Amino acid sequence: MLTNQASFKRDGVQDFVTVRATAIIMTAFTFYMLWFFLSTPTVTYEIWHDLFSSLAMKVFTFAALLSIMMHIRIGFWQVLTDYVKAPGIRAVVQFFINLVAFSYVAVGLFVLWGL
Amino acid sequence: MFFALLFVIWAWAESVSSPDGFAFVQEQMSGVIGKIIAIGTISALTYHILGGLRHLVMDMGHWEELESGNNSAKIVIGLWIVLTIVVGVLLC
Repeated sequence: MLTNQASFKRDGVQDFVTVRATAIIMTAFTFYMLWFFLSTPTVTYEIWHDLFSSLAMKVFTFAALLSIMMHIRIGFWQVLTDYVKAPGIRAVVQFFINLVAFSYVAVGLFVLWGL
Repeated sequence: MFFALLFVIWAWAESVSSPDGFAFVQEQMSGVIGKIIAIGTISALTYHILGGLRHLVMDMGHWEELESGNNSAKIVIGLWIVLTIVVGVLLC
């Protein structure tokens, strides 16, 4: 079987790896935030704002948001191909889910930009 | 969780952008609805992470028999219930 490596199309192996790679980034972000809330007795606006003002935290947050989008896209593709067999309906549902997932990233990016 | 993210992203965007936004979100979070959404979201995320970690172990070839698969699933559910109660107590 001639494997076609010339196209940009994703394959199952890449999706398998992406789901797990993004999961690691998101879990790291989750544990970091958990540590932040446990180690900060009272969270004030200044503390909260300064947390997200450092370049490193902006990159980390943006990476987490991108990971969320990719995780959602692949995860919901798996769910929808299992449960929504009608291609027309599935395409519409996938479109809206992916659009919302993208807007999470867009909102995050523009908020981070302004900090 | 996908829908819960609507609240999470909104609350984060509001609270980090301005002192008034922060005060508003803080006020919502102290209310009953805010707490329900928070505990619900954190509980769902906890279950998802525990299940995900179990899957990572399964990817490495463990827990693939009926008995081991069942037991690891029960452990995940047990841990999830305990952690949800802990989060509930912490947030209330």
